[in-house]
Formats: sequence, structure tokens, C-alpha cells
Amino acid sequence: MFEVRFHGRGGQGAVMAAEALAEAAVIEGNYAVAFPFFGAERRGAPVLAFTRIDSKKIYSKTQVYSPDCVVVLDDSLLDTIDVVAGLKPGGSVVINSRDKPEDIDLGISVKTAVVDATSVALEILKAPITNTAILGAFARATGVIKLESLEEAIKRRFGEKLGEKVAERNSLAARTAYGRTVIGTSKGIKKLESKKQWLPKYQELPAGGSLIEGKTEAGLIGPGSFIENKVSGWATFRPLRDREKCTMCLLCWFYCPEGTIVRISDRGDLMTNYDYCKGCGVCANECPVDAIKMVRARA
Amino acid sequence: MITIKELPDENLFTAGHTACPGCGVAMSIRNAIRVLGKDTSVYVPASCAVVFGTTFPYGAWKVPFFHTAFENTGACITGMQAAFEKKGKKVTAVGFAGDGGTYDIGLQSMSGAAERNEDVIYICLDNEAYMNTGIQRSGGTPFGAWTTTTPVGTKVQGNRRFKKNLGEIVAAHEIPYYATLSIGHPLDFIRKVEKAKNIKGFRFLHMFTPCIPGWKMDPAKTVEVTKRAVESGMWTLYEVENGEKKITFKPGKMKSVRDYLMMQGRFRHMSDEDIKKLQMWVCKKWNLHYKEKGAPEVCEIVPPEEHHAVTEEHREMHGP
Ligand SMILES: Cc1ncc(C[n+]2csc(CCOP(=O)(O)OP(=O)(O)O)c2C)c(N)n1
Ligand code: SF4
Ligand code: SF4
Ligand code: SF4
Ligand SMILES: [Mg+2]
Repeated sequence: MFEVRFHGRGGQGAVMAAEALAEAAVIEGNYAVAFPFFGAERRGAPVLAFTRIDSKKIYSKTQVYSPDCVVVLDDSLLDTIDVVAGLKPGGSVVINSRDKPEDIDLGISVKTAVVDATSVALEILKAPITNTAILGAFARATGVIKLESLEEAIKRRFGEKLGEKVAERNSLAARTAYGRTVIGTSKGIKKLESKKQWLPKYQELPAGGSLIEGKTEAGLIGPGSFIENKVSGWATFRPLRDREKCTMCLLCWFYCPEGTIVRISDRGDLMTNYDYCKGCGVCANECPVDAIKMVRARA
Repeated sequence: MITIKELPDENLFTAGHTACPGCGVAMSIRNAIRVLGKDTSVYVPASCAVVFGTTFPYGAWKVPFFHTAFENTGACITGMQAAFEKKGKKVTAVGFAGDGGTYDIGLQSMSGAAERNEDVIYICLDNEAYMNTGIQRSGGTPFGAWTTTTPVGTKVQGNRRFKKNLGEIVAAHEIPYYATLSIGHPLDFIRKVEKAKNIKGFRFLHMFTPCIPGWKMDPAKTVEVTKRAVESGMWTLYEVENGEKKITFKPGKMKSVRDYLMMQGRFRHMSDEDIKKLQMWVCKKWNLHYKEKGAPEVCEIVPPEEHHAVTEEHREMHGP
């Protein structure tokens, strides 16, 4: 059995990728299953999806805890998530990144394939949806499926839902990424501390789950504690404000849905805290004097 | 009146929440609570806002926050306000419910609170479908819109019913204040929230809040699309104060509804015939609100024969 775990962000199409991979395996005469991890995630939040492939019927229904291959659709996830957790010995990692495998620190030294799937997607699909491109890299890195079967699967999956043209372009994205994939070995230096969680005993839980502002070992809890959650990784683009052009009309400050454009009244200035910018582009779209430009978030 | 410049710096709905980039609900919540201020206590029923604003043990709200179920916003804010009064606290209970939680499942609870003229503020965040559970149609979904329960097929294309006139229903309770708001009209938005804050009795703020995945649109266009909605007449900015209705913002020139529709994937499949039907509905609404015909090139088209709410499917089911 070959098990794959996809790490992506809501809206990047990790689930679709897992399904297309399963379909490719079925085209080659194998059995396969694909399913997502369901959470309350919105667009941009980290999500998981899984694929299992075998020559025999598959009865295992759990999440994939010890994958043969891990696929990472967004390398900003590497900062906060231990993507190689449970990776089988001899396993491999496929990452959407502009870096070389040797420059990527996964905490262990493993076979790592990289492709700049975001650029491929922007070029071919005109949108940062990297799920088909990354599958091309997967095929190249693992050899578990042939590129032809993958393209066929993508055409079937996407053709059904989105029409032939879109399917064709997605298939081209996979092929292009296949060609651009670089295979090497990752660095194994960093120690990724697993994110601390507040795990109170039931006696410590407040009645009705009601929380007051508090601080635990794992950080803030209760009112206002969401600032613990840095969301900069959600952004593909981020705003740059030209101070010379800005007239301080404050519209961007008013509209920003994240509240990450901060007004410093006593200095009569604005500051954008990129930790919480999701790169929606509303500020740039609404600025009456075009003082804001959106640029790629991770150059 | 407060202007944008006079708004306080502090975020009472903090960053780090998990709404989709460009979320119109998040944008509206942040600014509403900014105007309402610290002496506010918030109730949010099941909806996107409860999920992206609070995920135990985290919360974005810096004011007291309460959540129980989906259908009881009117009852919960009633109870909260009663408790504050009993304790002698000067706090306003404010409910932030979705359109599903207001037009449909929460209607009776809201109606009860309105009928009793409870001293609370009820805010409806209208993103025109049940978004939290993956985009199902609600009474607030407009004609023609794709949702997962009004799919686009060969026989039927999108929602066949017209958006329910919630404003009339709420105002019919003869409450002190009902107003419609759009985040794309900041001064009107701020003024109405501020006004509601200073009135006693049941106040209802109806906010038009674009949803990125539900409307299949570019996240950068949230504000632009609300402006387009008002310019086309799909959304009207008005208030009803003690039974007296007043338009608070009238767009200079009516834009065709097509301009509004084509910004959003949920409408892009619409046939010319369906767009015409919707345009007629908008023109009628425009006439009712502004006491004038819409722009000649937009509205002087021959109306389809049937009454706007009677669709083919309706006929098939019920006869002519
Ligand atoms: C009684 C009940 N029925 C169904 C649900 C599931 N549910 C949770 S949120 C939601 C959709 C809410 O839609 P809306 O009120 O429009 O808010 P939105 O998410 O669109 O902001 C549903 C159906 C529930 N929580 N309780
Ligand atoms: S891009 Fe969006 S989230 Fe980022 S600062 Fe601008 S409005 Fe705020
Ligand atoms: S919208 Fe533009 S001009 Fe206005 S404050 Fe922001 S950057 Fe400055
Ligand atoms: S689904 Fe829509 S309403 Fe819900 S968080 Fe995303 S944009 Fe906002
Ligand atoms: Mg809704």
C-alpha cells in the first residue's frame, strides 16, 4: 500500500488533488481511496487530504499517519507544521517551493522534490491554484503513477466539473511541473516544536466553557486571544503602501477585514502588520489614489 | 455624526480570526463593534461568524461573547438584556445572526423579540445563503443565484425564488428602528450603527455582506460589489424610524443589474431571459423605494407577462 498525505490551505484544491491521484491509480488498474480531513477551515487555513493506493482492496479508513509520501502545496506551512511527522523510512516529500531541496529544512534529511507550482499555476491557470501542478511533481518524484495516467485522471475529474478547456489547462500544468521538478535531499537541522496546546483537566474547565481573558503555557486564551493565530501564510500577495502618495483617507484601515492595518493616531500614520494580512487585496482595490500595490508575499 | 477619522483605534474584534480573505461579514462585524464600543455584549448563533470569530479556547471578540444554538438569537439577546437590567448594568445586548439564522430558522425568535420591543440590537449579516455549511439557499438568496441546493442544470438554473422582503417583515412589527447597511458606504454605515446605539427598544440593522466562496468572486472586490449592488438597485439603503421610511442614499444613475451579476460566479450562468426577469424585479423595487422609474435604458423593456414571483416551475406545480 502506498499512502499519501497532502498538506494544503483551504481553496488550494488539496482534496481535488487527492482525488485526481486516486483516479490516476485506478486508471492504472489499482485500487485507491481519497478523502479530506474535515474541520471548520475557511479559505487559506491549513487543511489535510489523503490518498491510499494498493493492488488489493483497501479496507483502512483512518487518516494517514505514516505516509510514504507527503505533498505540501504551500511551503509557508513548513514554518508551523511538522509535515514529515510519521513519514515512513525511505519516504519522500514533494513541496511547492521556489527553493532548492538542499535549502529546505524539514528537520530530517529525506528525499525531497520541489517545483515552483505557484508560478506554474499563475502562468497557465492564471490563478494560484497549485493542485494539478504539484501532482506532476509527485509523478516525477515517486514514479507511483505515470504522467499519462495522471493527465487522463485530471481531464476526467476537472472535465466533469469545470469543462474541457479548464481540464486541458490543468493537465498542461501537471506536465509543465513534471518537467520543472528538481529532486534532491532536504536539510535536517531544525527542531520543530510541536505547537503547544492548552489541555485543561475537566476540573479546570470553566462552567459552560466560558473563558475570561487568560494566559496559559500555550499562550493567550479567551477574549481577544485569536491574535495568537498568525495568518500571514494564507497570503499569496501582500500590500505595499506608498507613503508619498497616501492621503491618509483611512479607507483601507476601515475596510481591512482583518484589522491588520493599524492606525497610530498620535503619529498620524498607518502601519500594516503582515502577521495578520491574508492578502485579500481589498485595501489596494479601494485606495482612491492607488497608493497600494499588491506584490508576491514570499519572493 | 462620526466620520471614519473619529472612529476609535482599538480593535474590539481582533486580527487572527479565520474568516476567508476578503470576507464581507468580518469587515462588517469589525466596524459595527468599533462603533458600538466596549459596553456591548454579543451573541452569535451558528454561522460562519461563530466559527471564524471563536474557536475554543480562542476568540476574536474583546467584548463579552455568548453562543448557544442556531435559531434563537432573538430569545438569547432578550435574556441577556434582562440579566443586565436586573444587575443594573448599562450594557447593550447585540445579536449578529446570518441570513439563514434570520430569514428562515431564527425568524420566529426574532419576531417575538421585535413584538415585545425588547431593548436590544439585532444585526443580520446577509450573505444570501447558508455559507458555514457550504452554500445552501436561504430566503435571502436572490433569483438566479447558484447554490448547492439550487444547482445549475439543463432544466433549472439556479434559485427560482426572489429574495424575501425581510425589511417589510421586520418593519411591520412597528419597531423603533430598522435600517439596511452596506460596508461600501462607510459614512451611512457608521451613522446607522451609531443611531441604533442611541435608540431604545428593538433595533434591527440589516447588513449586506459579500461572501467570497459563496458568491464565487475575487476577494479584492468585496467593497466594490456592495457599491455595485446599491447602484443597480439590488440593495437599497434606507431606514424606517418609528414607521417612517427614509431613503438614506440614492445612487446618481441606475446601473443595469447585469453589471452587478457579472462580477460574481454564482450568477454567470444566467440566461438573458432570467436576467431580464431579475431586472424587472429590480425595476419594480426601484420604483417602490425611490418613487421613480429606473433608468430608461435599463427599465423600459417589455416586462415578461407573468407576475414576477410566478416562475415556470411554480406553474408546473400549481397551474397558472
Ligand atoms: C438547528 C440547526 N440546524 C442546522 C445547523 C447547521 N448549521 C450551522 S451554521 C449553518 C448555516 C448558517 O447560515 P447563515 O445563518 O446564513 O450564516 P452564514 O454561515 O451564512 O454566515 C447551519 C445550517 C445548526 N447548527 N443547527
Ligand atoms: S490585503 Fe487585505 S488583509 Fe491585507 S492589509 Fe490589505 S485589506 Fe488587510
Ligand atoms: S486608502 Fe490609500 S490613501 Fe487612503 S489611507 Fe489607505 S493608502 Fe492612504
Ligand atoms: S464562507 Fe463567506 S461568510 Fe464565511 S468566512 Fe468565508 S467569506 Fe466569510
Ligand atoms: Mg448566510
